[in-house]
Amino acid sequence: MRNQQATRLIFEMSRPGRRAAVLAPAELPVPSAEELLPAEHLAAGPPPLPELAEGDVVRHFVNLSTQNMSVDTHFYPLGSCTMKYNPKRNERLGALPGFVAVHPLQDEATIQGWLKLLHELQGMLAEISGLPGVSLQPAAGAHGELTALMVAAAHFRARGESRDVVLTADSAHGTNPASAAMVGYQTRTVNSGRDGLVDIEDLRAKLDDRVAVFMLTNPNTLGLFDSRIREITSLVHDRGGLIYLDGANMNAILGIVRPGDFGADLMHYNPHKTFSGPHGGGGPGAGPICVRDFLAPYLPRPIVVREGDRYRWDHEGADSIGRVRSFFGNMGVLLRAYAYIRTYGGVGLREVSEDAVLGANYLLSRVRHILDVPHGQRCMHEFVATAARLKKERGLTAMDLAKRILDYGFHAPTVYFPLVVDEAVMIEPTETESKETLDAFAAALFRITEESVDSLRSAPHSTRISRPDDVAAARRPITRWKPE
Amino acid sequence: MTGYLFHTADDRREMLAAIGATSIREILDEQIPADVQLRRPLDISAGMDEPSLEAWMRSLAASNASAASHVCFLGGGAYDHFIPAVVDEIASRGEFYTSYTPYQAEASQGNLQVMFEYETLITQLTGLGISNASLYDGGSAMVEAILMALAVKGDRGKVVTSRTVHPHYRQTLETYLRNIDAESFVTPEAADGTAEGIIAAIDSDTACVVIQHPNFFGRLEDVERIFAAAHQAGALAIQVFDPVSLGLLKRPGDLGADIAVAEGQCLGNPLQLGGPYLGVLACREDLVRRLPGRLAGQTTDRRGTRCWVLTLQTREQHIRREKATSNICSNQTLLALRATIHLSLLGPQGLRETAEHCVRKTEYLRRLLGPNGRLRALHAGPVFKEFVVRDSHGRVDELLRAAEADWMLAGVPLGPWYPELQDCFLVAVTEKRTRAEIERWAEWMSAAAGVTA
Repeated sequence: MRNQQATRLIFEMSRPGRRAAVLAPAELPVPSAEELLPAEHLAAGPPPLPELAEGDVVRHFVNLSTQNMSVDTHFYPLGSCTMKYNPKRNERLGALPGFVAVHPLQDEATIQGWLKLLHELQGMLAEISGLPGVSLQPAAGAHGELTALMVAAAHFRARGESRDVVLTADSAHGTNPASAAMVGYQTRTVNSGRDGLVDIEDLRAKLDDRVAVFMLTNPNTLGLFDSRIREITSLVHDRGGLIYLDGANMNAILGIVRPGDFGADLMHYNPHKTFSGPHGGGGPGAGPICVRDFLAPYLPRPIVVREGDRYRWDHEGADSIGRVRSFFGNMGVLLRAYAYIRTYGGVGLREVSEDAVLGANYLLSRVRHILDVPHGQRCMHEFVATAARLKKERGLTAMDLAKRILDYGFHAPTVYFPLVVDEAVMIEPTETESKETLDAFAAALFRITEESVDSLRSAPHSTRISRPDDVAAARRPITRWKPE
Repeated sequence: MTGYLFHTADDRREMLAAIGATSIREILDEQIPADVQLRRPLDISAGMDEPSLEAWMRSLAASNASAASHVCFLGGGAYDHFIPAVVDEIASRGEFYTSYTPYQAEASQGNLQVMFEYETLITQLTGLGISNASLYDGGSAMVEAILMALAVKGDRGKVVTSRTVHPHYRQTLETYLRNIDAESFVTPEAADGTAEGIIAAIDSDTACVVIQHPNFFGRLEDVERIFAAAHQAGALAIQVFDPVSLGLLKRPGDLGADIAVAEGQCLGNPLQLGGPYLGVLACREDLVRRLPGRLAGQTTDRRGTRCWVLTLQTREQHIRREKATSNICSNQTLLALRATIHLSLLGPQGLRETAEHCVRKTEYLRRLLGPNGRLRALHAGPVFKEFVVRDSHGRVDELLRAAEADWMLAGVPLGPWYPELQDCFLVAVTEKRTRAEIERWAEWMSAAAGVTA
């Protein structure tokens, strides 16, 4: 069954003169392009792209697709990434010409359906977050972080405060400190306590009048909701700082608790996680942000506003930070989020989170007997186990475990994140997996831990390739094909 | 229940029993303080089943005009190029679009090989040694290129650019620069629609010079001379390019660009109201350690089989955190996949034919327009696939709305970005426009001139 041809590169399949796309010549009473354009601008010939027939292209890429694990084909418990089912109906709807063939610079009067959808989505995101100001513009979660920090910076500038520090948790996503650095902030790390939650004493020690924002993930990356969240947010607010919520884990709390209600001032969503936009091999995502009223004037423009039964882009806003990308946002992703939210409705969204929490706790109850889970008897939508004991007793690593899991027909959990857990194995089952799948995964995990050291170290055995040499790849980077 | 949940009542009972809880509520109450919990349902209307949702979404879609319902002459950074069926068909395979970042290389060779092929195609297209695996869009790619240049030229803080660069890209740049120690110097456009005074603006504090070619008005810039001046002053040269134009025009690398960025929407990606799009970024090989974003590289596995991995990850945020080259965490793999398929289908000849169609059809439209008594092309020189039209009556919005009523998206008003061009609009002609459509645009515009003159 295996098609060895698939692993040839399109460049190696190329044959001079082979063609796929052919345009009929344009019969027009104008000179050739070479005559119309000045000679000094013209290349000697077109770029040296590969030359392929249409059949070549189709077989090549279809075969490549079969070398991926995906949500459609496998259980994908990649912690922190919320790999839930991506509804097929949303794909069909997103492909309607009335959405997908719309040019971004069309007159507002010709895109009323789009604007109505986006306006409703702004309202839904505000309601779910408890934060009324919404910008749909950021292109991804990290971009949302960056945009929100710019909003915070503008707020402090307007108040004449020169705060230059952002606090991030030691369990935070790497994007938090990286985004802060791009806005010119220094970062200080707030440590977690033994319970995996924010160490309040450490927060007090790091908090001063230079702190602009504390970037918080709640539930955090250990899958724990910080029970002292009110105390944390009050501490920061009392010193004049703002609370940013990294919305990566919103799948745990839809309709249960709202960031605005526990003290967050700004946040981003990852609609491609929480609201089921397909992850597409790593993107596209989207990163809409929500903020409190007093921060809304600083949001990027335009935003969608309603006037009677008409909708328009509002470009006004003297205090706006400006735009953070071309055009208006990752609309294709946002459309799928809208369709998802409409499918569940307000009551259904809470059930999504409840089932995500149920699934994670159920799997935790199984996995706890196989691997140590350092924090919490209970969790929210995900939990972090550790392979530290396997390492100590048998010299095996979280990576060995991950690789062997692939052989059992499951995608591996996230490993080595968050950084606060040694040999971390981060598991997020999502609400769209059955009890049978969770049982099968736990059973596989158990069998793997009973296997020989050799079997794990040499895993994976069933994938087309064995473990790649990452060190060689980085030492002598080969990032493009070159002719022999 | 209208969604995608799995558990039956029996499942729930068994799962709760295994957890040792009586209800999900109990699990939540244990962790979330009571005083912050939401004590009411979200104020979002009830869920919809699939037929109702589809009917509703179709009704929303039906109230939009589009390049499918109207003939589209809109450009300005997004274009109605043809997308072959193969692109849609392959990109809609779940194995591609429901996968994620290839953290486990053994389970992601499909995506990794696509990324490697994409990177190679972009280097072939640009004539530069290295391409990342994509960024968000053209505007943010330009900003990332400039941040790269500022990092490379650590002691220099000036970015020289021109009003002939896409206004959204420049606005994005201003937003980013406001919080860091650098500033832009934007030179004006000359009467012929090309950059003016850009060389004179380059000095010893200039980290980079940024030029768009073909520029926002469709005009060709004197890139080689500008880049030579940049290099003379020790600055980096950054080109914003149009991938389709490279079927005919010299490649950025051959023009002296150190970094080249583009909006990759034109490579098989749909308009979809401006996003998601594809940020293309390629650079000289020696700049690789400053490159933002993901990068796929070739290596071998334990059996010596050739394979692909994410590489040089020590540049990235999940390793370097605040010291990373960028905060970017995702990329646009699905759109890069579409671009890879699209370029594989086009090949060198297909790209060249597409570019030729753009140039000749645009020129045909420009000649048909003439000066027609009311409207004329603002600039005389050569253009690639769009040009500026001036309306001597100064009623651009009214004119374009009237054209909409006749099923034409006839142009993009320039007033919002260029107050002095309040009476002008941009018109773009891709390979997709037929001779009949072009003639209809020209006839309609002649009639408009006649009727209101």
